[in-house]
Amino acid sequence: QEIDMQAQAEGIRTVFNDPTNFNVKHPLYSSWTLWFDSPATKGRNLPQTPVSAFPQTPIPPTPGAAAAQGWMEDIKRVISFDSVEEFWGLYNNIVPPSQLPQKANYYLFKEGIIPAWEDEANKNGGKWSIQLPKDKNRGHVDKMWLYTMLAAIGETFDPSPPSEGGSAPQSLITGVIVSVRPQFYRLSIWTRLAPSQGEADGLKDRIENVGRHFKMSVLGFGEAQRLAGPLATEVEFLSHKDSEKKGKAAKKIII
Amino acid sequence: TLTKNHVPAPLPSALATARNIDNINSVQYPEGIQSPKAELNTNAKDGKFRYDREFLLQFMALCKEKPAMLPPLDAIGLEPVDQSSLSMSRGGSGR
Repeated sequence: QEIDMQAQAEGIRTVFNDPTNFNVKHPLYSSWTLWFDSPATKGRNLPQTPVSAFPQTPIPPTPGAAAAQGWMEDIKRVISFDSVEEFWGLYNNIVPPSQLPQKANYYLFKEGIIPAWEDEANKNGGKWSIQLPKDKNRGHVDKMWLYTMLAAIGETFDPSPPSEGGSAPQSLITGVIVSVRPQFYRLSIWTRLAPSQGEADGLKDRIENVGRHFKMSVLGFGEAQRLAGPLATEVEFLSHKDSEKKGKAAKKIII
Repeated sequence: TLTKNHVPAPLPSALATARNIDNINSVQYPEGIQSPKAELNTNAKDGKFRYDREFLLQFMALCKEKPAMLPPLDAIGLEPVDQSSLSMSRGGSGR
């Protein structure tokens, strides 16, 4: 309360006015949680200090998510944040993708959503993803991941979601992922919904706009540019349900 | 206090006490700082704001404080790999 009154009296000071003594911060549209896994995190039980000082993977909130527990076992929750200022404090103190160990993944998801298909928020959704050869992209991947995160936390992937019942509209995005593999990087944008075959409900357009923003504004490719090649894919969308049935003809959308 | 005289007590982090901006359109930024694109927040509700990349990038050089809640990175296997030493220290398995 005192702080509020002080701010009222002294006026608003952002980090741009005073980097060490600012009194307001920029709230994000949603709170976010960063998760991480790599072969080195596998089987770590995190029993002793100082390891036990960091938050454990929360108990999944829904029965569907309980099925994801095996998948989530080795994925470690790093930290949550809900302001622009906190995001950059994290970004400036963590390892960029180009320096991650092999087979590592960062998962940046909205708070309360675990990075698994089984989560209620993901189970009817899908993902936009692109795979890029490692050799040619080692120098670009950090910027691509940064821009992907900024579009996610800034909530510009899905800029005009329909408003629901007077409260702030819900966006399609649930999280973003970067994966480091021996030969390539993969970036993914997870969505809450996936368009169903042959239904003209506007959702397909909305999903495609997310993909187009990802390809052009975030990754910096031209709209008509073709990207597939050795170890590389186009920017493509696949529902999680189609991802699950491997081998069957997948109905991909390609931007 | 009992702290040694020559060690100044650390200031409480501004981040810990700063309050959320509740009206993004009312903030006056210093000269040279670009405001968030207005069209992203024309119908902003519930203190939920959208921010364009150019606006967000302006914070990068200013917000460097390590988050108090960040776990020790080596404890979760999150350590930077020195690309040049991969083949030597990891017995070539990195290739």
